[in-house]
Amino acid sequence: MALGTVTESESDLDLRADRPWVCVVWDDPVNLMSYVTHVFMVLFGYSKEKATELMLKVHNEGRATVTSGTREEMERDTQRLHEYGLWATVQRDNEF
Amino acid sequence: MSSFRRIEKGDNLELAITFTSQEAHVLINLTEQLLELLAEGEGQSHQVDPLLHLVGISSSDSLPEDPVLRRLLPNAYDDEKAAGEFRRYTEHGLREKKKAHALTIYEALVPQDEDWSGDTPLEKGSIEISFAQDDAMAWLGGLNDLRLALAVRLGIGAEKGAPTPQEQQKKYELMVDSDPMKAVYAVYSWIGWLQQSLLEALTAEK
Repeated sequence: MALGTVTESESDLDLRADRPWVCVVWDDPVNLMSYVTHVFMVLFGYSKEKATELMLKVHNEGRATVTSGTREEMERDTQRLHEYGLWATVQRDNEF
Repeated sequence: MSSFRRIEKGDNLELAITFTSQEAHVLINLTEQLLELLAEGEGQSHQVDPLLHLVGISSSDSLPEDPVLRRLLPNAYDDEKAAGEFRRYTEHGLREKKKAHALTIYEALVPQDEDWSGDTPLEKGSIEISFAQDDAMAWLGGLNDLRLALAVRLGIGAEKGAPTPQEQQKKYELMVDSDPMKAVYAVYSWIGWLQQSLLEALTAEK
């Protein structure tokens, strides 16, 4: 494949609305379960039920997607999670 | 060891706690160390550009060398290049936010109206402090950063296969009392207990 074609298809992918970016939180044994739940509720306005469910997913599966949207939005969410000591990364939602 | 209490003043909620002077000293000392650590090592091995610094862009685009800073300022991307680019624009702001959290705790404990010297013990046997609900997230975040920093010293990692909190606790309980790491673990546990206590006071049913 010609180099130009690759670049073109990549920039095309960036604009596709059906492949959003996600913010993933990874398990850290230091962070208390109650604290992680509280951070999800405060930062994202999630209900206690939803925040608890996500916290348990992080705890049991090692990671959970907590928000999805544009790359800029996910970077902002990741930054806010880092501010409160949670371990988060930005990625495309099809990376795992 | 006292826990956080709710003080309801009309529509406003305040959180209050009494620390022994020893407890207050531990928190003052740790937050001071955290503040120093967050202030240093910015733009390691690079010349800091004052203009870029002014607008919050740091010249640092790699993970900090200090293991505690690595834990406090993690990469936002798996991809090293994307992580470096993101870090250049955000690490300074992240450090500032964490400093503000630590400072919220520090300033609540260090009497601002007295000629305070960190080297002299508090004259009083205990210190009573209170703060508005708006400061609670700064307290929670600051306490969490202290736990993360102590965890690095204790070797409590987040990597796969790391010992569970239960296994860690058992390991430190079995240590002889003279082992300094046992004392570090006791402080780490206490700060977790404080965090839990603050969360319970914040979310208590009326």
